[in-house]
Amino acid sequence: MIATDLFIAARNLARHTRRNLLLASAIGGVTAMLVLLGGLTTGMREAMLHSATTLMTGHVNLAGFFKITSGTAAPIVAGWEKPWDAVKDRIPELDYMAPRGRGWAKAVADGGSMDLVLAGVELSREPGFHKVIQVVDGSLEELGKPGTILLFQDQAKRLGVKPGDTLTLSAPTTRGASNTADVRVAAVARNIGLLSAFNAFIPADTLRQLYQLKAGTTGAVQIYLKDPADSAKVAARLRAALRDAGWRVMDPDPQPYWQKLMFKVNAEDWTGQKLDVTTWEDEMSFLSWIVTAVTWLGNVLVTVLMVIVAVGIVNTLAIAIRERTREIGTLRAIGMQRTQVLRLTLLEAFLLGLGGAVAGALLGAAVGAGLNGAGIELPETMQYFLLQRNLHLAIHPGQVAVYVAFVTALTTVAASWPSAYAARMRPVTAMHHVG
Amino acid sequence: MPEPIVEAVDVAKVYQLGKTQVHALRHVDLVVERGEFLSIAGPSGSGKTTLLNLIGGVDVPSSGTVRVDGEDTSKLTERALTRLRLDHIGFIFQTFNLVAVLTVFQNVEFPLLLQGRMSSDDRRRRVNALLEAVGLADHARHRPSELSGGQRQRVAVARALVANPPLVLADEPTANLDSVTGGHIIDLMREMNRRDGTTFIFSTHDPKVMSHASAIVRLEDGRVVGRETAQGAEAR
Repeated sequence: MIATDLFIAARNLARHTRRNLLLASAIGGVTAMLVLLGGLTTGMREAMLHSATTLMTGHVNLAGFFKITSGTAAPIVAGWEKPWDAVKDRIPELDYMAPRGRGWAKAVADGGSMDLVLAGVELSREPGFHKVIQVVDGSLEELGKPGTILLFQDQAKRLGVKPGDTLTLSAPTTRGASNTADVRVAAVARNIGLLSAFNAFIPADTLRQLYQLKAGTTGAVQIYLKDPADSAKVAARLRAALRDAGWRVMDPDPQPYWQKLMFKVNAEDWTGQKLDVTTWEDEMSFLSWIVTAVTWLGNVLVTVLMVIVAVGIVNTLAIAIRERTREIGTLRAIGMQRTQVLRLTLLEAFLLGLGGAVAGALLGAAVGAGLNGAGIELPETMQYFLLQRNLHLAIHPGQVAVYVAFVTALTTVAASWPSAYAARMRPVTAMHHVG
Repeated sequence: MPEPIVEAVDVAKVYQLGKTQVHALRHVDLVVERGEFLSIAGPSGSGKTTLLNLIGGVDVPSSGTVRVDGEDTSKLTERALTRLRLDHIGFIFQTFNLVAVLTVFQNVEFPLLLQGRMSSDDRRRRVNALLEAVGLADHARHRPSELSGGQRQRVAVARALVANPPLVLADEPTANLDSVTGGHIIDLMREMNRRDGTTFIFSTHDPKVMSHASAIVRLEDGRVVGRETAQGAEAR
């Protein structure tokens, strides 16, 4: 019976080719738009994950704050190897880890000055760094030498420096005094969106010297996992393990470390070391509004389109059912139950929705692949906010399947009113209908 | 003595057209025995189609009772009434009412699919046997639009009989056919009536068609005004 229902539904759709093609095109257009918008937001999210987990954060961070007095906090972990030793065997998901110094300094050069968020890196421990940073001038290997700095294009331009030039970093130490260090520009790297606007890299030892910190002190142990999706699970496990080992661990709080430093930790009444285990999403939460805004904008657009398409579906099916009143009446007369009529008309809508959605998804995926292949460079302002240099749409088959299922389901639901009308029809009324 | 296949007692049907009440049937009493080949005759507007609709369970009486194969149609749920139509009644319509998108075979097979009792092989055998009987074995893959009016009505006859119902109702089955083709259809129905003992009730106002009936019930202005045998009608 299902086979016959399918056959009748498919043939009925084929009987009104132009009208149904138009409707299927609208459904396909909405699906294609969903695929492209989904690809854009996923692409942004992936770009954020990819670049942010190199520039600013690990997938999970074993970080913390040290307070000499209750009002002066520093984003450091003193003797980081001890807490790391306490938990390192509990991370089977581990890919690699890298200690990363954290700091802030004013950079002054002959051509200008600017504030920089400094990261103290040990290049030999950071295989991901080489994959993300694209040096356009100078040498990344030079950053392995003490007293050097890596800047991004816009920073170098603003400071008026090039590789080999010297600039002075001035930073407040943990004891409240200011300290300076002269550093040589080792390399200038290609901009990576908003994140490269304020981040710069210096060797970890140089950062410690600037802040007058002991060896063994770092900002965070950045933990990289084989699958970033495990971040929250691993973070929770580490918090529990550290607490069990006797460390003071801060409660989860989805804010980047610098927001906690500026607005939270200094106001708390404690001294000494507290550890803070965060995920990359916590550290990037100050940028998540961009993804959220694009997602919402896309959702509003798609919702409006879906409403229009749904009205079209209701209207088209209502016309189709009116045209087939006599046929439905005959089927009812010869013994088709109301539920079977309902199933038949819903099946038509389902097939129409599925066909349109699959075609639209294929179109969207093809357009997305074309845009990716074209390597379109985004305008500079968009690079900042989309966190990518070239337009990249991440279109995954699983996500596309979800869109197809959603649009098909919506089409079927939209058809429920005209279908219910058809099912309620009395056979005698339907059989004597003229029209 | 076997129970009549149809028993209508004091049946009335009133339609409301705006503020006007139209009395389509008044005080109709009718008994149809199993195996009859009964014609309901009368001029247009006499209530033939309304009576067939009530017997067929596609409509319910305003008052009175209609029993089909022992079931009081007005006491059945919508679902049970639909099941009664599927299992006990075959329909032949004046305008054939075939499903345009299905082939001849699929149209005839449809009631069996709705019943869901037969295997695919049994269905194929049953449909092919009926198509053979109505002379359309070579047209099984055709669509209704590819057939003549007479051929379409043969498909309708096969569809009405495929589920082996004890009762077949035909509303002016020859009205849209020329006299020769109409005669063939009536002959076909009569053959099925004699061969399988299926009861046929058909409406017509054509005396030639009436002459094939074993009995004729005459309607005028919604009332039964007489019942006679075909021989009696011919004599008149």
